[in-house]
Amino acid sequence: MQPIIDAKDLVHEYSQRDEEGNVTGINRALDGVSLQVEEGDFIAVLGANGSGKSTFAKHLNALLTPTEGTLYVGGMECGDHTKDLDIRKTVGMVFQNPDNQIISNVVEEDVGFGPENIGVPTAEIWQRMEDALKNVGMYAYRKNSPNKLSGGQKQRVAIAGILAMKPKCIILDESTAMLDPGGRKAVIDTISRINREEKITVIVITHYMEEVTGADHVYVMDSGKVVMEGSPREIFARSHELEEHRLAVPEAVKVAMLLRDQGIPLPEDILDQEELVDAVENLWIQR
Amino acid sequence: MIRDITIGQYYQGESLIHKLDPRLKVVGVLVYLISLFCFRYVIGFLVAGLFFVLVLKLSKVPFRYVIKGLKPILFLLVFTAALNLLWTPGETIWRFGILNLTKEGIYKCIFMALRLILLIIGSSLLTLTTTPNQLTDAMEYLLGPFKRFGAPVHEVAMMMSIALRFIPILLEETDKIMKAQMSRGADFESGNLMHRLRNMIPLLVPLFVSATRRANELAYAMDARCYNGGAGRTKMKPLKYHSRDYKGYGVLVVYLVLLIVVTRTVAI
Ligand SMILES: Nc1ncnc2c1ncn2[C@@H]1O[C@H](COP(=O)(O)OP(=O)(O)OP(=O)(O)O)[C@@H](O)[C@H]1O
Ligand SMILES: [Mg+2]
Repeated sequence: MQPIIDAKDLVHEYSQRDEEGNVTGINRALDGVSLQVEEGDFIAVLGANGSGKSTFAKHLNALLTPTEGTLYVGGMECGDHTKDLDIRKTVGMVFQNPDNQIISNVVEEDVGFGPENIGVPTAEIWQRMEDALKNVGMYAYRKNSPNKLSGGQKQRVAIAGILAMKPKCIILDESTAMLDPGGRKAVIDTISRINREEKITVIVITHYMEEVTGADHVYVMDSGKVVMEGSPREIFARSHELEEHRLAVPEAVKVAMLLRDQGIPLPEDILDQEELVDAVENLWIQR
Repeated sequence: MIRDITIGQYYQGESLIHKLDPRLKVVGVLVYLISLFCFRYVIGFLVAGLFFVLVLKLSKVPFRYVIKGLKPILFLLVFTAALNLLWTPGETIWRFGILNLTKEGIYKCIFMALRLILLIIGSSLLTLTTTPNQLTDAMEYLLGPFKRFGAPVHEVAMMMSIALRFIPILLEETDKIMKAQMSRGADFESGNLMHRLRNMIPLLVPLFVSATRRANELAYAMDARCYNGGAGRTKMKPLKYHSRDYKGYGVLVVYLVLLIVVTRTVAI
C-alpha cells in the first residue's frame, strides 16, 4: 500500500533578510528528513526545542514549501500550490495554543468552520458537528463560548473541528504543551481512541516522553535531522543517546537505567513506574 | 478593572425577539433610529416610546440591562441637556446672570434628551438580543450588493467576528500584563499626562508583540482548516426568513404609519 506520508531528503531553510531584501542568514531547520508513515499508524515525533518538529509538521499541511527534497501526502506532491486545499483536507493539524486556533464565539460554530470552508452542505455540517463533538466528549458544551472552557476542553474542541473535516491523518503539534496533566491525559486518550476506532493516522509531536509510550513508531529529531527511530521500547532503551539529544527520559526509565549502571540486572525495556515495580519485585523473589 | 468593559453584550434568551432574523433586527433598528429624527412634536415620543416598551416586553430582557447602556453617556447626556436648557435664545422664563431659561430651551432639552436615550437603548436592545455572529452574518448579507463593486464584504465581516472573539482574550492579557508590570513597580495611575503615556509603554509593547504572534498563529490555523475566502463556502447557519419575520416587517411598517399619522394630526 502507498504510504500516506512519504518524505525524501526534505530540506527547509528559513532565510533572514535585511531591509533591502538581501539574504543575510540562512537557517537550515530541516536537513534531509526521510520518513514514511503508513495509513492507520500512530506515530510520535520527539525532539527538543528548535529541533525542527513544527517546521516538519507545517510541511505535511502544505503551510510551508520544501526548499529541497520531495514530499508526498496522500499521493499528492507538496510544492506547487495547486493541491494545497486537497492536502489540507487529507491532513488536519491541531496547534499548540488552544486560544489561537478557535475562530468562532460558539463551540458548535467553530467545529462547523472547516466543513463550511470545504463546501459541505448545511445539513451534513450539523451531522458532522454532532458526531465530532460527541467523539471528543464535548457535545454538552456545543452552545458554550470557548472562552469559558479549560485548556484541555478547548483542545478537544479543536480536534473536533479537524475531525469534522474527515481527514485521513491528524497531526498534533505540541497540542498538550500548555495543558495541566489532567487535560493532557484527556487529549491523548481521545486521540489514541480516534486512531484505534476510526483508523485515522495520528502524528503526535511532543517533547513529553510519557506521551509516546502508546505509539507504533517513534522518530527522534535533532537539528533538523531524524537521529533515532524505532518502537517506544527500543527508543527508551537507548536513554543515554536520548539525553545527548536533550530529551528528558521518564523517571521510571531513568531509575531503571541508574540501577542497571550499579550492576543490578533489570531488563532494558522498562517504560513506566508499574513495570519498574514489577521488575524489582521479580528480582527480589529470585533472590 | 479593565474586564468590566463589555462590548456588544448579549443577553441569552429564547424570546420571540431573540429568534427573529438578524437582518430584520438590523433594518428595524436603523429605521427606528431614523424615525426618531422625523417628527417635531412631543407626541411622537409617546409612539416611539410605546413601540420600544412593546419590543422590550417581547424580548424579556430586564429593563436594568438596557439602562446599563446609558451609563457611559450619562455625563454627555446631562451636559448637553443643561447646555440646551440654559443657553437657547427665545422667550425668557427665568434669568440668572448669563443663564437664560427659555421656553424653547425646555423644549429643545426634552427633545434632545429623549432622542438620545431612545437611540442608545434602542440599539442596545439589538446587541442584547442578537449574537455577534448573527450580527456579522446580517451585515454581510445586507452589504452584499457592494460586493459587485469589489468591496471586501465577506472579509470585513470575518474580521469583525474574529475581533469580537479576541476582545475578551486580549483584555484578559492586558490585565495580566498590567498586574505583572505593577508588581515590578510600574505605575499606571499617577503623574501628568506625558508621564502616564510614557508609563504605558511597558504595557503596550508586550501586548502588541503578543497580539501579532496570535494573529500569525491564527492565520496558520485558518489556512490549515482550508479557509480560502468567501468563495465556495457553505453556511452552517444560513439566514432564512420565517413567517414571523415577514410579520415583523409588517409591524415595522405599522409603527411608521402610526408615527406619521399621530404626529401630523395631534400637534402637541
Ligand atoms: N518563521 C521562522 N523564521 C526563521 N526561523 C524559524 C522560523 N520558525 C522556526 N525557525 C527556526 O527553525 C528552527 C526549527 O524550529 P521549529 O519551530 O521547527 O522547532 P520545534 O522543534 O518545533 O521547536 P519547539 O519545541 O520550540 O516548538 C529553529 O532554529 C527556529 O529558530
Ligand atoms: Mg514547535
